[in-house]
Amino acid sequence: MSIDEIEQELGVMQLSDSFFPTGIFTTSNGLEFLFNEKKIQGTVDLIDLIRINIIQQIGPTDCVALANVMDNANNYDLKKIIEVDNLVFASKSIKEIRNASVRSGMQFIKCVSEFVKDNKILNQYKESITDNQTHGVFPVAYAIGCHSLKITKEKSMAMMLYGFTVGVIGAALRLGLIQHFESQKIIHSIKPIIGQTIREYSNKSILEMWQFAPQVDVVQMSHEKMDSKMFIT
Amino acid sequence: MTRIPRIGIGGPVGSGKSMLIERFVPILAEKGYSVSIISNDVISKEDADRMRTNLATKKGLLPENLVIGLATGGCPHTAIREDPSMNLSVIEELESNHPDLDLIIIESGGDNITTTFSPILADYFIYIIDVAGGDKYPRKGGLGIESCDLLVINKIDLAIMVGADLKLMQRDAEINRKEKPFVFINCKTDEGVLDVAEHIIHDVLFGSLPKSTITQKV
Repeated sequence: MSIDEIEQELGVMQLSDSFFPTGIFTTSNGLEFLFNEKKIQGTVDLIDLIRINIIQQIGPTDCVALANVMDNANNYDLKKIIEVDNLVFASKSIKEIRNASVRSGMQFIKCVSEFVKDNKILNQYKESITDNQTHGVFPVAYAIGCHSLKITKEKSMAMMLYGFTVGVIGAALRLGLIQHFESQKIIHSIKPIIGQTIREYSNKSILEMWQFAPQVDVVQMSHEKMDSKMFIT
Repeated sequence: MTRIPRIGIGGPVGSGKSMLIERFVPILAEKGYSVSIISNDVISKEDADRMRTNLATKKGLLPENLVIGLATGGCPHTAIREDPSMNLSVIEELESNHPDLDLIIIESGGDNITTTFSPILADYFIYIIDVAGGDKYPRKGGLGIESCDLLVINKIDLAIMVGADLKLMQRDAEINRKEKPFVFINCKTDEGVLDVAEHIIHDVLFGSLPKSTITQKV
């Protein structure tokens, strides 16, 4: 392995580490509501929830967006990147989820900008957010950050899906739904779903972006109305 | 974008963080300073709701939408130190939408005596404890007690009832905090609260006039 390749791998570790500051630890993606309503019982239900989110929402929307943004970043096409940003923003119909995505995305870009200098598309995208020309949703911001560290499209998709999975499992741990060994077993069991999702969505056009998870939407909307909660979403 | 001065208020659950805010904000408001409050709750929006009701709805000292409750995923200490992303985002939105604010107050619930605020998040750090937690607190030290800009020791009226020795707490605070200030207060009677407000005006706002009065003069 060359020094360049080692550096790229370290970039993968850095951006996919939960230590990287994006505030994702404050979100449960509706899990907290299901837990409080006793509609989720344990490992099997939790795997189902993660699987449905990935297959019905994050794969066909966020992953397609990420892949397209990375392609557009290769062509220095900021206009198309902003188009994708607007599409993803519009697709996040739940206010809590939309706000959290924008806040995490913006902070992610700001943090990457602290140590990646002289990257044209990163700087342009950051300026577009600061100037209110675009939103800075998380999947798009993540793609720009990964691109700036020369991480491949497929690895970037894997990192984002892994980050989502760990985020929900971390929330489940803190809620007391599962225990620490189970959490690792769940991550392991989700790996094939992540692999299939990457294979299916890494080369889709932005026009093929879709999502359909009405129950997940209802759960996430219900979370917004909770009086007592630990998580933002 | 204008950077608005920020103070962080941290301390154990029940030490009186929200009550302290409810007591000094009226003093600042009377002098013309406009503030916003972000409350990082461990669970529930109760503290934010109470401050909104008492300071905004009942007294009209600030608009209701400037008291913001922020969920922290059960990790309030992370949300103000290791990964303050969500707090920073909310602050950036406030700075963009309300540039006339004089001060942003960030309250963080938690029960950890090692609580500290990221200097990127807060310019000034108030750590509050209460005598009912035991008179050992100032002696035990910890990041919160030792590193804060102002240590506040609350509920001094309870000292006699819980057997806390205020002189011992004073001596230990002087030893552990070297030259840095600390104040004894009782939020129920407002004793010492004016001292806290004056520290904020002098140490955070540097005695500057409220922005609203400067705008009026121009």
